[in-house]
Amino acid sequence: MTSLTYNHFFILSLIVFIIGCFGLFLNRRNMILILMCIEIILLAANINFVSASVFLNDINGQVFSIFILTIAAAEAAIGLAILVIYFRNKGEIDITQINQLKD
Amino acid sequence: MFLVGSFFLFAAFLITTCIFVIFSKNPVNSVLFLVLAFLNSTFLFILIGAEFVGIILAIVYIGAVAILFLFVVMMLDIQITTLMYNIKKYVPLALLFAGIILAEIIYLTVFKTSKVNIDTFIRSKNNTEQIGDVLYTKYFIDFQLSGIVLLLAMIGAIVLTHVYRPTIKRQNIDSQNSTTAKDRVQLVKIKPGEGIKDD
Repeated sequence: MTSLTYNHFFILSLIVFIIGCFGLFLNRRNMILILMCIEIILLAANINFVSASVFLNDINGQVFSIFILTIAAAEAAIGLAILVIYFRNKGEIDITQINQLKD
Repeated sequence: MFLVGSFFLFAAFLITTCIFVIFSKNPVNSVLFLVLAFLNSTFLFILIGAEFVGIILAIVYIGAVAILFLFVVMMLDIQITTLMYNIKKYVPLALLFAGIILAEIIYLTVFKTSKVNIDTFIRSKNNTEQIGDVLYTKYFIDFQLSGIVLLLAMIGAIVLTHVYRPTIKRQNIDSQNSTTAKDRVQLVKIKPGEGIKDD
């Protein structure tokens, strides 16, 4: 193992993806942590795209990772806005009560 | 050898900080560990020669998204103790999920190995030039669409969090445009020794 291969990055991105999904399963009550776990999952997708693009010598993957960044920023903004109005209405961010939003 | 050593250093830091993001009791600590995780992935991207995406990740994620998270966490005043209870109920489901993906990793590492080596490539242009060549030609429509997505996200966030207060004085453009000088200014002739009488 004297040189970097795509497998290194692929397994790293899988591990980061698992950690993000694990956090989604564990923190069922804290809405901020759920948003942060989604950011971690998107970071794993980014690592996968960029490393594949570098190791296949094809630039399109890096362009797609820029688009992923855009969507992640938009998603974070909307999610945090929903979080703020939820906290303003309820006084807490417990996600188990969020089905009351449909009333 | 330096490349592999740096990779393992940054990868270990990345995984550790991601774990700390999940298991921190205080959400502020989680956000700061998230910043550290993004920083480590930036180092990884620069290490394999994707400088542009790495720097964009640092600017967009650390400079904008993580700080947005930090503002919201500090603004909301959450009781930390109530959030972390009842965690044991979900551990078996999470372990099952993680086990499936771990099996996939083992399958990939044992049976499939990629032989592509990073050192063999010769780059005629630098990374930013390569991205710019395709981003503004081949992906022009996608580029514009991602701008529209960001605009929609901005408008949506403002509309969601905006609070209408009727007591605030606002600019009324119609009444401003329809006023004449007579409505605003009154000419008064003052006779000597009398002063101005209020009506």
